[in-house]
Amino acid sequence: MINIEHVSKVYPNGSAGVRDISIHIEKGEFVFFVGSSGSGKSTLIKLLLKELDPTEGKITINNVVTNDLPREKVPYLRRNLGVVFQDFRLLPNKTVYENVAFAMQVIEAPSKQIRRNVPAVLSLVGLAKKSRSYPNQLSGGEQQRTALARAIVNNPPILICDEPTGNLDPSTAWDIMDLLEDINRRGTTVVMATHAKDIVDMMQKRVVTLRRGQVIRDIQKGGYGDETEFN
Amino acid sequence: MKPSSIRYYFKESFSGLLKNRLMTVASMATVAACILIMSFSYCMVNNLQYMLAQLEDDIGIAAFMPSNTTAEQVENVKKEIEGIEHVTEVEYVSPDAALEDLKKELDADDILAGLEGENNPLSNSFNISIDDIKNQGIVLQKLNEIKQNGGLENIKDAHSETEVLIKINTIITVLGIVIIVILVVISVVIIVNTIKISVFTRKTEINIMKYVGATDWFIRWPFIIEGVLIGLLGALIPMLIAWPAYAKSVSMIYDFFPVIKNMVTFRESSEIFSILLPFSLIFGILLGVIGSVTSIRKHLKV
Repeated sequence: MINIEHVSKVYPNGSAGVRDISIHIEKGEFVFFVGSSGSGKSTLIKLLLKELDPTEGKITINNVVTNDLPREKVPYLRRNLGVVFQDFRLLPNKTVYENVAFAMQVIEAPSKQIRRNVPAVLSLVGLAKKSRSYPNQLSGGEQQRTALARAIVNNPPILICDEPTGNLDPSTAWDIMDLLEDINRRGTTVVMATHAKDIVDMMQKRVVTLRRGQVIRDIQKGGYGDETEFN
Repeated sequence: MKPSSIRYYFKESFSGLLKNRLMTVASMATVAACILIMSFSYCMVNNLQYMLAQLEDDIGIAAFMPSNTTAEQVENVKKEIEGIEHVTEVEYVSPDAALEDLKKELDADDILAGLEGENNPLSNSFNISIDDIKNQGIVLQKLNEIKQNGGLENIKDAHSETEVLIKINTIITVLGIVIIVILVVISVVIIVNTIKISVFTRKTEINIMKYVGATDWFIRWPFIIEGVLIGLLGALIPMLIAWPAYAKSVSMIYDFFPVIKNMVTFRESSEIFSILLPFSLIFGILLGVIGSVTSIRKHLKV
């Protein structure tokens, strides 16, 4: 599903984001990217989203080599990727329903399909009753669930989460993790960058540990590991 | 492009215009002001050139034949002059007709009395019109050749007047172009900034659109429509002001200075605006499209 082969990203100022990284992710996997800030997690996420292009190596997503993908094809690549960010990124002047429907509108989905899918995905994340609320009327957890609903409403095969629990209190964070696990169980591949040690330890999923732009550990059903070795 | 998307584009662009109401009005007003000044310059330049052309028409070359020429000689020389490049019209003036003209001009019949017929000292002559006063030099050269061959005796041209007219014409044209270019640049800068603000307030929106896989054109359309609407309204308003204002000014000038009508006439307002109106509207639309495309470009690179 996702294949990262010997990928390096050197920024124009000469600093290396990631160095010679190779990670293979199967369909339906749940993978944590862990590491301290500056370890290359964000760079890796940006490379997957094709926000950045690798300076070396090859990235394949859904059998498409993304390196040499022409600019006009990038939107279609992104339709395979649902994205959730730490800061939710909801549109403040749109309701919960409109925020989720927006993701379908902009890829020109038929309005019939929008009217069917949006309520379904809102009830999946437990926000059916809040569909008319505006983001500023919601708690942090509810906002992130809205963002999650928006990320999966187009049924992407891959869900990419960049510190999705970073702005949430522990119990709300767990609600989100339950949802992510649920989504994963339905067959969506989930990639999550985080440094929430307790969550990683409890989930017992695949953990890829990054340090100074390199993979130093990649284990199935692992924990967060010893933090001292990160630095 | 799906109908639902087109509806979306228009909804988005209208809401964008309303959300940035102040900037929308400000930029429309600025575009309107620029186009108004441009229209004013155009009216001025166009009319001045039109009037110069009228004055130019009055400036011709007069060529006089030696006295005691036969009708056959007159006919030959006339044909010869007509054969010169850039000559558009050759009018033959008989000595009698010349005398009549002179009498009218001097308003002194008694002084010139008795010079009719056999006593007429005036010779056969031609009034020569040319296509453009710029070509006067070339024509004069040819006429001088005829003079050397004895066909003509004297050539009278309005050399200095011609030079002045050509100079005025050039200055006006250059000045008009400079003013228009400056205003075009100002309009572009202003419209780019308005749309930049509009784009900036919707940065998150564009960012989300990029992440969920909206195409660049899907993102661009509402902003382009926004720019076109600003440009179009910004162009239409000054046209609605300038057209009646021009017509009114011309009739007022004629009323106050009736003499002017004998010398020159202004262009009809319909003549001016049949060019100016479509030009302004197209210019407004182009301004809007260029403005939105340039201001959104940066934000699409995600």
